Amino acid sequence: MRMIRKVLALMLTICMVSINMAGCQGQSSPPSAGTAAPAVSSENSPKKPVTITIWHEAAAEIAKSLQTELDKLAPNVVVKLERKEKLADALKLVGNDPSSAPDMYFYAHDKLGTFAQMGILSPVTDFISKDDMQDLLPMTVNAATFNSQIYQLPVYFETQMFMYNKKLMKDPPKTTDDLLKYMKENTKGGVYGFVEQHSTAYYASAWMHAYGAAIINDQKEPGLNSQQMISALTYHKQFVPYEPKDGEYNTITALFKEGKAHAIIGGPWLVPEVKAANIDLGIAQMPTVSATGKPLTPYSGVQGVCVLKTAEDKKDAVAAVLKQLLKADIGISLAKTANCAPANSKCYDNAEVNGNEMLKAMKETAENVVPMPNFPEMDVMWTATENMLVAINKNNADIKTECDKAQKEALSQLEAMK
Amino acid sequence: MRKKIQPYAYSLPALIVIGLIVLFPILYTGYISLTNMSVYHWFDFHPIGLENYKKALLVFDSGFLPALLRTLLWTAVNMALQLTVPFFIAILLNSEGLRFKDFYKTILMFPWAMPAYVSILLWRMGIYNSEFGLLNQWLKQLGFKPVDWLSGDGTAFAACLIVNLWMAFPFMIMMIDGGLQSIDKSYYESATLDGAGFFMKMLKITVPSLRPIIAPAAIMTTFTTFKQFDIVFLMTQQQGSKTGANIHTVLTYAYEKAFMTNNYGYSSAISILIFAIVIAFSVFTTKDLKEEGTR
Repeated sequence: MRMIRKVLALMLTICMVSINMAGCQGQSSPPSAGTAAPAVSSENSPKKPVTITIWHEAAAEIAKSLQTELDKLAPNVVVKLERKEKLADALKLVGNDPSSAPDMYFYAHDKLGTFAQMGILSPVTDFISKDDMQDLLPMTVNAATFNSQIYQLPVYFETQMFMYNKKLMKDPPKTTDDLLKYMKENTKGGVYGFVEQHSTAYYASAWMHAYGAAIINDQKEPGLNSQQMISALTYHKQFVPYEPKDGEYNTITALFKEGKAHAIIGGPWLVPEVKAANIDLGIAQMPTVSATGKPLTPYSGVQGVCVLKTAEDKKDAVAAVLKQLLKADIGISLAKTANCAPANSKCYDNAEVNGNEMLKAMKETAENVVPMPNFPEMDVMWTATENMLVAINKNNADIKTECDKAQKEALSQLEAMK
Repeated sequence: MRKKIQPYAYSLPALIVIGLIVLFPILYTGYISLTNMSVYHWFDFHPIGLENYKKALLVFDSGFLPALLRTLLWTAVNMALQLTVPFFIAILLNSEGLRFKDFYKTILMFPWAMPAYVSILLWRMGIYNSEFGLLNQWLKQLGFKPVDWLSGDGTAFAACLIVNLWMAFPFMIMMIDGGLQSIDKSYYESATLDGAGFFMKMLKITVPSLRPIIAPAAIMTTFTTFKQFDIVFLMTQQQGSKTGANIHTVLTYAYEKAFMTNNYGYSSAISILIFAIVIAFSVFTTKDLKEEGTR
């Protein structure tokens, strides 16, 4: 009896240990079959299909369009699009591990500086020539460039637009002074003339750029207490009392969808929800700031594909993928299915794309918009800028004091990064 | 000899798991804190000694001390309320002749069952929101002006406190309820015979009997409350939706100052320093408890 008890105890212990260790097994085996197929080593050897794994965090329609487009490369190149939640964090962990990292990833351009600095990206010009990219809108190629190297192949971009409810607003204001007048006349009884995320850096940047201010410039110098910044924030402050005080995404989009806001500044992601709420949506040009003559110039985000260094041995396959995405087909497909503004200027020759009011508006702003800075130093700027905006707009703090404080904060954070 | 080894042998697997999941990350963080791991040296970092700690001590600047005091205040107020209110609720739940006892207990457990992240965001959007929140809807109906609950320091602190209590009460109620069941009824009977009233019985019988049962739960809750990050962060400090209130606790302050820089060496050093503070705090309170236990 004692022997049975001992044997049973030993077996149970072994079971428990192996169950615990089983969790560790999962990490060493590759999550994707990306490197299962051997790469084509020379032109003369019989071509075995090469598998390219692309991680993404995009919406289902966009992923489907990409997969359909890249399936055209079969059977020589088999492309597997894999949805990866928290893609940026995952890449930080496994970026240089050939057995776990993907070959390419599809994401916004603003993180590519961080990854390039970490040393896990290969420039796309290693696989295609710069001339191949001549049809792409210059703003998107700019966004894809870090330290004079192009790390991303832009596919589509998004930026904010002035959207209004055609039933409530008959004539969208052309200047910001007109907008302020409109707000003063129409904001009452729980209804707002105009709503925006006034204290979020991403949206407030539109006002800053109209004054020539920048959160951080190309030389990585923060400009939070420049004279232009102070002017921009002083001017913008006049609008805040006529907008919902919390300026949060959920609040303002709910107000707009319920017909309680005449106009909103938002991105293309808002359009399906607004249309589903039966709002007669109109898109207008961003109003021009009366004092400077420049329109409100928001940040833009460019979505595209980047190549990891771990895919170096699959040069031909990667080049094939990139060349396929350079064609106008993917842009037109994304425009039709997901209302995305293509980065390829040739797409706008297509009648359907050109007929889409929203896409046309986005292409026109592409000449003016500022792509989000893509270098790693930008990461710390968001917090400093937002603390400044919140203190000025929500807590009525003195503008010059807050700007100086934020600049000091930003500089010390940049120091802390090194 | 065998008898001496056996207990260790049986607990070895569990110790290995704890070692891997709890101890190893702490040691690894300690190792990283001595290197220069950052965006500029992501995979090719090397040890640089105590440089990060020198930099980290600068974080303990003008902003850190208020954050630390606020964290202590947060912990003290939470624990005071979490020990008294659940006590009374548990006593009421155990009253003689109370009907639907199980139903009440089930719905009281509800907040505990919901994931904290979801609860906090629901409170933020559904109750405290300046346009659509329940509180402001009520105020509007009563003819008052809506209040921005989360942008003033005092109101934001109270708002976070209420949410934390809402989420934490079920646990304490359950603990105290269990403790109350375990007290021998004969004590109360003899006390009644001696002429003791309700409050006398509570003070002299219930509270002393509960103390050894509640003490571990109270200590655990104190530490969880001290190092709480989610409530203050999600209610007031999320990037893109900051509310204007500055009610930073130690962890949210460290997060904003250090973790956002992607400088892992530096952030690890700050984590280790905060870890040291929590350990000191725990030694201090356990000592207190030991003294009380021997009385």
